[in-house]
Amino acid sequence: MTFAMLLGSMNYNNNLSFVLTFLLIGIGFVAMHQCQRNLVGLELTFAGTDPVFSGQMVRFRIAITNQAKSARFGIRLYHDKVQSDVHDLQPGESKVFILPMATDRRGWIELDRFGIRTLFPFELFYSWAWLHMDLRGLVYPMPSEDDREPPPTRVAHGHRQHDARGEEDFAGLRRYVEGDSPRHVAWKAYARSGQLLSKQFAGADTSSQWFDFKEIPVADVEDRLSILTRWIVNADRTLKDYGLRLPGNEFPPAHGDAHRRQCLEALALFDKNVS
Amino acid sequence: MRAQPRGTDGSLLASLPWTLGALAVSLAPHVPYLAVWITGAFICCSAWRFTIEKQRRMLPSRWLRGGLALVCFLGVFGTYSSISGVGPGSALLAIMAALKLLETRKRRDQFVLLFISIFLVMSSLLREQFLWSLPYLIISTLIILTAWLRMSAGQGETARQSFSTGGRLLLYAAPLAIAMWIFFPRLASPFWAVPIDTSRATSGLSDSMSPGDISSLSMSDEVAFRVRFDGDIPEPHDRYWRGLVMTRFNGRTWTGSEPRAGAPVEQQISFSGKSFAYEVTLEPTRQQWVFAMDMPMSWSLDRTFMGPQQQLIRVTPIEQRVAYEVVSYPEYQVQAALPSIYRRYYTEVPSGSNRRSAELAQQMHDAAGSDTAFIDAVLAKFHDEEYFYTLHPPPLGSSPVDRFLFDTRQGFCEHYASAFAFMMRSAGIPSRIVLGYQGGEINPFGGHLIVRQSDAHAWTEVWLERYGWYRIDPTAAVAPERIEYGVRDAALEGFGASWGFSAPSELLQKLTLTWDAMNAKWNDWILGYGPDKQNSFMEWLGMNEPDWRKMLLTLVTIVVALVLAISGLMMLRNRAPRKDRATILYNKFVKKTGLERRIGETAQEFGLRASTESTLPTDNIESVTIAYLDARYGPASAGAEVKLRTAIAAIP
Repeated sequence: MTFAMLLGSMNYNNNLSFVLTFLLIGIGFVAMHQCQRNLVGLELTFAGTDPVFSGQMVRFRIAITNQAKSARFGIRLYHDKVQSDVHDLQPGESKVFILPMATDRRGWIELDRFGIRTLFPFELFYSWAWLHMDLRGLVYPMPSEDDREPPPTRVAHGHRQHDARGEEDFAGLRRYVEGDSPRHVAWKAYARSGQLLSKQFAGADTSSQWFDFKEIPVADVEDRLSILTRWIVNADRTLKDYGLRLPGNEFPPAHGDAHRRQCLEALALFDKNVS
Repeated sequence: MRAQPRGTDGSLLASLPWTLGALAVSLAPHVPYLAVWITGAFICCSAWRFTIEKQRRMLPSRWLRGGLALVCFLGVFGTYSSISGVGPGSALLAIMAALKLLETRKRRDQFVLLFISIFLVMSSLLREQFLWSLPYLIISTLIILTAWLRMSAGQGETARQSFSTGGRLLLYAAPLAIAMWIFFPRLASPFWAVPIDTSRATSGLSDSMSPGDISSLSMSDEVAFRVRFDGDIPEPHDRYWRGLVMTRFNGRTWTGSEPRAGAPVEQQISFSGKSFAYEVTLEPTRQQWVFAMDMPMSWSLDRTFMGPQQQLIRVTPIEQRVAYEVVSYPEYQVQAALPSIYRRYYTEVPSGSNRRSAELAQQMHDAAGSDTAFIDAVLAKFHDEEYFYTLHPPPLGSSPVDRFLFDTRQGFCEHYASAFAFMMRSAGIPSRIVLGYQGGEINPFGGHLIVRQSDAHAWTEVWLERYGWYRIDPTAAVAPERIEYGVRDAALEGFGASWGFSAPSELLQKLTLTWDAMNAKWNDWILGYGPDKQNSFMEWLGMNEPDWRKMLLTLVTIVVALVLAISGLMMLRNRAPRKDRATILYNKFVKKTGLERRIGETAQEFGLRASTESTLPTDNIESVTIAYLDARYGPASAGAEVKLRTAIAAIP
């Protein structure tokens, strides 16, 4: 466009058009440098990821702090075809950018390099920089679609009675979680309050289970891990204790987020060659 | 056909007003030239679009837009009956902007609108360049830049920040633009000629003269040209600015011949006496006449030649302001010998018209006895008898000379020149009428001469044996002060006196003159910066034999240097915070260990690793680590830094 303007100015020998044309060219030059300067003084810190199941997007959190004295505009992170949101950073401001990345297998997923770019000021130029930070996130195996029931426990505290009639001690109510047996739903409470609640039972019959890698009649290691993952996920939703037994590793029956994470981590990082 | 989404979500609410503002600012100078309906259409579309965005309604359908576009383009074509040139061009741009607004859905669509506004600013500059055009250009660029930044701005960018960013970029770009402007080689001739604008006629001289037809003279204050003399300024009675020469009279109207080249100057005129060198800055006239003081010997305007009646003619009309240098000699002799065929040509009058005047001329000539005595007698008649100079004479009818000489006896220069030339011709003396300007006002602030449209004048030249063509101004005989001071001063004085406030008008005139002086400088230095001025400026800068290659080379060099300088300036502004001294010192220590500090490794971790992996004594490593942690993270004190320095120095 400026070329057309330059031709026009030259043709008419119009000095003010020359001024306008050269001013725009000058702004182009300056904008180019401004664009590059727009990345200076940014400090990036890896702020971790949350573990995900294989197939989900892992979301790398990267905190960017503007250490410079002037504001920084239109900053985004990117990686392959994935882009983070665009944020502006006032001087001294810090914001967390989220860079998603697709996962297709369990284990550590590493983002060996990603880019930071800006189109500021005029979206005519963009400047970018490649960053090499050791970003990694944990990917759990994909929970299997196979809905086989977990095996009965070998060391049983008592058989699990699905048609139990009062043998188990009613321990209380908790919010209904998908996967809870409809038998345990407190329908009377639902009729009263309209809220789905599950009955919780305590006592000897709240059996704890062992999920044993070796006992799954599936040949493929990954499939087995996948099935174990599904069981753990399901078991975690109930209040049942569960234990995990892997070749060379054993997690005694327990419950809770920490236990769940430990088990899933072990599955994620399971070394095929050990089995 | 793929249906395009037409809904709006209010996401443009923040940036749309700025885009509309930029368009309005860039359209503003065009408004007086545009057909009213175009401005109206633009305003309607802007308001419509803004309402749509505000109420999150749908954009008009494709069919409606297409129909509107067709109507508007036909309208432009109907109004201007052409699509080339600045007038129709800016009309089209305005219509395009208005229509584009109706299909602007996303931020990016606004790009097109901002491009249009840049082109609108550009075309307004092509049309007219006043002193205020530069501030206008800067302000409108700033607004367009801000609108652009607003368009791409995120949540965290305030309008104020966009504005200051735009201003800063403009400021940084200014030296670059100035350097490019100075050094970019100017072309002497255009690639192709496009009419700039013909929608407004300029008041220049007409190619024919019919005294009595037009009953009043233009009193326009518009500047015709400005003159800067290299040395002395000639006396008012020498300042006859020759324009065109009219040689044929049909009883009512004087006309000139088609512009054609005459013999070379030195064959037409012999010069003598004192010369005056000056530069004329001529406003566009759309005519071919080039003005110079009687008689020009040389002129610097390209494609300009001297016609057979010593008038200067340019091959192409003067569409833009031009500046040229002239050397003139007030003393000269033209065509001492006139071939008899020309004698007949210059004495031709239509038989049967203005009979009484012709008879009177012959009687007076017979009575006077000689040509010169006859001329004196006619001038004396104008002077002594009741002839009045007026700018508003009565109309004269079919025998204008008779009616003027015997009945009305009122007129301005054209009437007197026409009557005088007619009488000369009737008595057998070759004569012709020259149209041009006379006098001019000296601007004490600029030191130059301003010649206005109201200084337009007509005078006569008669051919006399041995003298050649000799200038006689019959108007001078009737109203000498008109010649000595110019019509403007006379009119102004009268005005001031009759209303009883001469002082304010004096002040007003002073202000006008100052403004004019600024304009003259502006025209001279900024608008008139063409190939010649550029060359002499380059030479003044010390460039030997400037040519476009050298200029481009200089341009590139300077631009690169400036870009580097500006980049450095930006670096200073935007630099990252300096690393603190403790880190610099600690890095020295890291170097001494011969190990690399891993990413994310804390000083403590590194210290531990260094004590096992490096050869340095563990004590030293420990003391440095402690000192560093103190200096870096402890309360700021110079002592901690000194400790760190000594700890590092202590390492063997």
